[in-house]
Amino acid sequence: MRIVVAEDLFLLRDGMVRLAEAYGHQVVAAVDNGPAALEALLTHRPDVAIVDVRLPPTFSDEGLQAALTARRAVPGLPVLILSQHVEQLYARELLADGLGGIGYQLKDRVLDAGQFMDAVQRVADGGTALDPTVVAKLLGRPARADPLAALTERERSVLALMAEGLSNAAVAARLFLSEGSVSKYTTTIFAKLGLADAEDTNRRVRAVLAYLAVERGPDPDGR
Amino acid sequence: MGATGGLVRWGAAVGAGWWRSAVLVALTCPFALVAVPVGWAGASLAYGWSAGSAAAWPLRALAVFGETLLVLLWVSVAVWTVHPFTSRALAGAARRCAARWLGLELAVAYRQPRQVTRMATGFWWDGQEYHRSEREARRRARVHARFHDPQLHGDGVWLLAAAVTVLPVAALPLLALVLGALLVPGRPPLGAALLAAGLLAAPFGWRVLGPVGRRLLGPVASTRLGWRVAELEEIRADLTQTQAAELERIERGLHDGAQARLVALGMSMGAAEHLVDSDPAAAKRLLAEARANSAGALAELRALVRGINPPVLVERGLVDAVRALALDAVVEVDVVTRVPARPERPVEAALYFSVAELLTNAVKHARAERVGIELSYAERTLTATVSDDGSGGAAAAPGSGLDGVRRRMAAFGGRLEIDSPLGGPTRVTVAVPCELS
Repeated sequence: MRIVVAEDLFLLRDGMVRLAEAYGHQVVAAVDNGPAALEALLTHRPDVAIVDVRLPPTFSDEGLQAALTARRAVPGLPVLILSQHVEQLYARELLADGLGGIGYQLKDRVLDAGQFMDAVQRVADGGTALDPTVVAKLLGRPARADPLAALTERERSVLALMAEGLSNAAVAARLFLSEGSVSKYTTTIFAKLGLADAEDTNRRVRAVLAYLAVERGPDPDGR
Repeated sequence: MGATGGLVRWGAAVGAGWWRSAVLVALTCPFALVAVPVGWAGASLAYGWSAGSAAAWPLRALAVFGETLLVLLWVSVAVWTVHPFTSRALAGAARRCAARWLGLELAVAYRQPRQVTRMATGFWWDGQEYHRSEREARRRARVHARFHDPQLHGDGVWLLAAAVTVLPVAALPLLALVLGALLVPGRPPLGAALLAAGLLAAPFGWRVLGPVGRRLLGPVASTRLGWRVAELEEIRADLTQTQAAELERIERGLHDGAQARLVALGMSMGAAEHLVDSDPAAAKRLLAEARANSAGALAELRALVRGINPPVLVERGLVDAVRALALDAVVEVDVVTRVPARPERPVEAALYFSVAELLTNAVKHARAERVGIELSYAERTLTATVSDDGSGGAAAAPGSGLDGVRRRMAAFGGRLEIDSPLGGPTRVTVAVPCELS
């Protein structure tokens, strides 16, 4: 895969480049600030980009903004966002276009090289890889007039793991179920969310989006 | 029926007006009562000296001028003599009237006698002088506080001004009435007209107390300044204390959390280094443990940072930080914002933490099911309103979270308003004056 890395801490950037190369991928650009990240995303159009939320020059949410801008220009451009903290607010903004190919993870996850590269791969394949922390926050949200209210406790936990980006086999392992029963659960979930006849990967992404009840971007007068 | 009611009400207003006018006349006339007879007597005495003189007219004019000055001096001395003994009581009575009739709260503070102290020499120090006995020192301190009080002189200024403003205006309806009553037998039309004028003016004459009192009955500038200094000192003490507590919290967080975990991390890695050749399986286990510890340390640092300076606040500013807060809440929170730009950072943080506290209160203490947060900026004031449908009864008791919010706001010259009847709904507003960037 061709990968763009945008991270301002040299050690972390270097580490991620080595990691990606160790897994046989090609890092086409490794940049350390927001404007350069946007340019690299638009010129290289990588198979997946790994972008830090907070980048120079302003150390605000430059990386996130670069990713959002790039995805507006190149719809569905796979981006894995890394941050020291995860926020529902940002997750919603990232998922708002409903196109998938989005990851949003704590930087801590880099520590587990195997899982991290799995997440990168899933995002590159157009899936989602949300950090369990943000998924847990979304799970704690009050569900009122929500399509999710129809789901059972078990179905909700299966959906939560799907939001993290796990495959049926991985979900089965995590919940100590057989793969067959997980696939039964997913079918029920798709039916309850009205996604019965879409193609599978797409369906998984859309189930996750429904799960997040994503708002359509920030309100215009909000800022 | 309605006409009778109106007539009764009008009659009551006239009666109250006369009574109030009479009270005001009594409260504002003493300086005039002193000044007019002294001036009269003085003038008849002094002008008698030059009367009948045959000197040239410039000399006579000079003499009259001198006599006038003398009369003015006598009048001033007379008023100045009466002032220390009457001003405080009369101004106090006028303030009570203003409070009762107009709802005008004019809090003032008089100087308190200083504590007397015994010196090593055996003498007593009253702050000004030494005295032989404690009793004498106390008496002098009392006298000094009483007569060298800026507020007392402020009251004197009120009496002087009131004698030429409030007194004539308040006296008019009464005068018209008395004169009218006297004139009716002799010249009925004029008398009746005066009576009518007195009746019509009665409900209004006393209201002159409002505008004049507002300006002159309040605390004098030096007391106001004193209060402000006391208030600022309190805020400063608060700030210092809050800051120290905050630093302590951070220190404890680092010491018990991340620091301890890093030590553990170093130890397990050292042990793993030892074991890597002899017992690779154990070394592997230790390394896994080390990684878990590093993840734990990161999580603790993250929580700590969130308490110091929430990341979304840094990255996006107040509006998005509040929206993120709303998303993370366990109840439904509606956020409405009308803030065109970011305020200064310290104000932003203060407001953010206040809103966070109010939201926590609504969810935890009031057990609200719906919370609304409104941010707006108008007239150079940033306002956040948090309303909920919870159980109400919120109050800023000392040491409570709301009290903390009040203090936080006070540090920026802001304010906290609580409207929370028992049973709800609650509406708490915090407002800070600030500029937007």
